[in-house]
Amino acid sequence: MAELTLNDYKSKVENAWCPGCGNFGILNTLQKSLLALGLPPERVLLVSGIGQAPKIVHYVHANAFDGLHGREVSSAQAAKIVADDLTVIVHSGDGGAYGEGGNHFLHAMRRNVDLTHVVHDNHIYGLTKGQASPTTEQGQKVAVHPDGVAALPMNPLALAISQSCSFVAQSLSSNAGHLQEILCEAIRHPGFSFVNVLQPCVSWDPVHTYAHYQKHCYLLDASHDPTDQLGALAVALAHDGRIPLGVLYRNERPALRPIMESGIGDLRTCTDRPARLAAVFNRFR
Amino acid sequence: MEFNIRITGAAGQGMQTAADLLGRSLLRSGLHVYVHQDIESRIRGGINFSQLRCSDRPVHAPVERVDLLVSLSPESLRAHAPAVNAGGMIFATSAVEPADCPRCAPFVLSELARKAGNDKTVSTVAAAVAACALDLPAEILDTLVDERFGSSEKLLDVNRRAVQLTREAMLEAGLTGRLSLPGGSVSGTGASTDRLFVSGAASVALGALAGGCTFMAAYPMSPATGIMTTLSELTHDCGVWVEQAEDEIAAINMVAGASYAGARSMTASSGGGFALMTEGVSLLGMIECPAVIVIAQRPGPATGLPTRTAQGDLRLALNAGHGRFARVILAPRTVSEAYALTARAFDLAERYQIPVFVLTDQILQDCQTIIDRPDVPPVTRHVLTPEQAAALPFYERYAQTGDGISPMALPGQSRHVVCVDSDEHDPAGHLIEDAAGSAAMAAKRLRRIATVDAAAPLPECTSHDPALPLVVSWGTTAPVVVEALDALNAGSPRFNHLQVTQLWPLPDLRAIPAFAACSRLILVEHSVGDGLDGVLAQTQLRGVDAFIGKLDGRPFTVEELTARIGKEDHHG
Ligand SMILES: Cc1ncc(C[n+]2csc(CCOP(=O)(O)OP(=O)(O)O)c2C)c(N)n1
Repeated sequence: MAELTLNDYKSKVENAWCPGCGNFGILNTLQKSLLALGLPPERVLLVSGIGQAPKIVHYVHANAFDGLHGREVSSAQAAKIVADDLTVIVHSGDGGAYGEGGNHFLHAMRRNVDLTHVVHDNHIYGLTKGQASPTTEQGQKVAVHPDGVAALPMNPLALAISQSCSFVAQSLSSNAGHLQEILCEAIRHPGFSFVNVLQPCVSWDPVHTYAHYQKHCYLLDASHDPTDQLGALAVALAHDGRIPLGVLYRNERPALRPIMESGIGDLRTCTDRPARLAAVFNRFR
Repeated sequence: MEFNIRITGAAGQGMQTAADLLGRSLLRSGLHVYVHQDIESRIRGGINFSQLRCSDRPVHAPVERVDLLVSLSPESLRAHAPAVNAGGMIFATSAVEPADCPRCAPFVLSELARKAGNDKTVSTVAAAVAACALDLPAEILDTLVDERFGSSEKLLDVNRRAVQLTREAMLEAGLTGRLSLPGGSVSGTGASTDRLFVSGAASVALGALAGGCTFMAAYPMSPATGIMTTLSELTHDCGVWVEQAEDEIAAINMVAGASYAGARSMTASSGGGFALMTEGVSLLGMIECPAVIVIAQRPGPATGLPTRTAQGDLRLALNAGHGRFARVILAPRTVSEAYALTARAFDLAERYQIPVFVLTDQILQDCQTIIDRPDVPPVTRHVLTPEQAAALPFYERYAQTGDGISPMALPGQSRHVVCVDSDEHDPAGHLIEDAAGSAAMAAKRLRRIATVDAAAPLPECTSHDPALPLVVSWGTTAPVVVEALDALNAGSPRFNHLQVTQLWPLPDLRAIPAFAACSRLILVEHSVGDGLDGVLAQTQLRGVDAFIGKLDGRPFTVEELTARIGKEDHHG
């Protein structure tokens, strides 16, 4: 087989993002990460819902399941349970992941299916033209909230750590080197890996700009112990205006499918049904 | 020849255990039984019953008459004693003055249980009373008790003693063999394995497995839950993954993901839970994804009557999901048909890459009956094999075809990628907006509807003279109508009967003379109306002349429908 190149991950679909959008950084880095991991396009399944960010699955040459807004994690978990030999990566907007799909996010962390969930967190509903998302700042004036958002923003990192999500990381769309490191680590991690990627929205959000992130982000260094859950929670809840980048928390609990393995086999085949059912019928006597 | 046994008591008293022991005894004795459950939505207390219609021939419908009542609580005795026939018998857990109750047995069930050494053996006592009255071979119940309680010596001991004490009491009272059924008795312990005792829910689950199901995601909701319970118990034996989803929205979107990845997949819920799935149904239509969806109906609106029955969700299944796309709706009439139609649903779903609905109801889900050991033919897949996919120069998931059905490849099985999209998409599965491309994809979906329509089977019709009034029924109502019409048509035929098992799409019913020429069209449906009558008015341009429906969530009985249909053969 010919050596993989970056071109193998390029798709011909015309890009519909705004010029300067943070999504471009994530797209480029995703393609580089897949190459770095040596994952051929046909062994990768990208799953998404609806929004600007979720369109990314069309801009990468790989298997793609572009489902419903907010329901991408549900479809992805099932696809991975069935096609256990594929590398499954989910891409959501913060609206899809934390708003419409919030319940699924909670339960995906519990279930711990071996997949990577990348949330493109631009703190706004991009595709629907700038309404508040669950991570929009309190007081920020956006569409539908002319007086400013009254509700507190959600803290997805603290939420995930508190739920013992097996891998919790944050990165920045414009920091390609860091993002690639984090994506590769997340994809390699066995279990549900959650990566919140901070991403400026150049069209709708004047607050979370490239300059804003330049100023407030800091890299977690070797003094941070990602196996210390309370320590990780303290970092996520610091409220000091500083934004941590890196792996905040990880644990090594086993992923779902291997726990259940015995007798299940490849769920894509059912050729042995007659024999297996014949034995089962005798219980109904 | 038949006898009806009603076992009643408070929730949690073991009526279902008793019914299960008795049902299996009848199976192994070579007889037939139909057990239906009347249960309240609670875990303890109240008044529930299991009614066993024991017969020497197959039975599929509930009746009202009671020949033998086994009552495990004073309240249930008071409620159900009046239902017992003049010549019937009553067994109870509290002594009833003989003067008040000439039909009452001269012994008390709970005392036998206490004497056996454990009050809980009263459900075994209940089963033994009925088995003795029916004069079933003693070894059969003995073997069943050994199988059920064998894992604990202590339990086995008290239950064996409970059976023994009951037998002695029945003999002494001269009640053994009072309801003896002819013809059945198979000697020994019922070695024949050609028949099974299963519930409707289990039959759906087994049919799903026969249809190749390897993935189910669902959220518990009565009366659908029995399907996922049964499948979950067979996870390792049959290789099927059962995921309890956090909600029905997750369930249907999981089904879409699993099916895309290559598993024959299903979900099941009741009306309220299914209502949450409707956007997901539309997704299945858009991405051309096979799926089987069981709607186990109960009365609505909203929470309605959780443990009662209805046939009110046909239009919900038919109209669920925005946009237009192909679907099939099947409705099994009996437990054995639940197996066959569910298996068929999986084949249709994958053949046409569509959602296929199986409409059941509480009475079917929860009933138990004896069926012939089903066939399990090998499953034929309608997806490209890895070799077939690899041989293609390029692959497009939504390639344009004459019948609207594109070859389905699975992701990761060849060098081709497989892309699907809930947005309007091009043949390769990528989102588009252009007018021509959008119109072409919509037209493809319409051609698929035509393909599925053209394959609609003609329903079964029993016709004597085409001009007679035609009774139309579907689902669990049909076998009740069959028995009612057996009675009404004895002598000279008065009604024809059309039984619809595929409710959508319907063929042109005018091809059936008894439909085209009928003097009156009578629909019997366990609903408050606007189900199949509405569909017939819309698709066949034929309204019904009489509607026999149901408002109370209780099942139709043979007696009730004999009376109600009997009034409907006047013209005009
Ligand atoms: C069920 C449903 N509700 C609403 C929408 C409309 N909608 C599409 S994307 C979106 C939110 C987009 O925000 P986000 O998920 O953060 O993604 P972004 O566009 O910002 O990348 C909404 C509300 C939809 N497609 N489906």
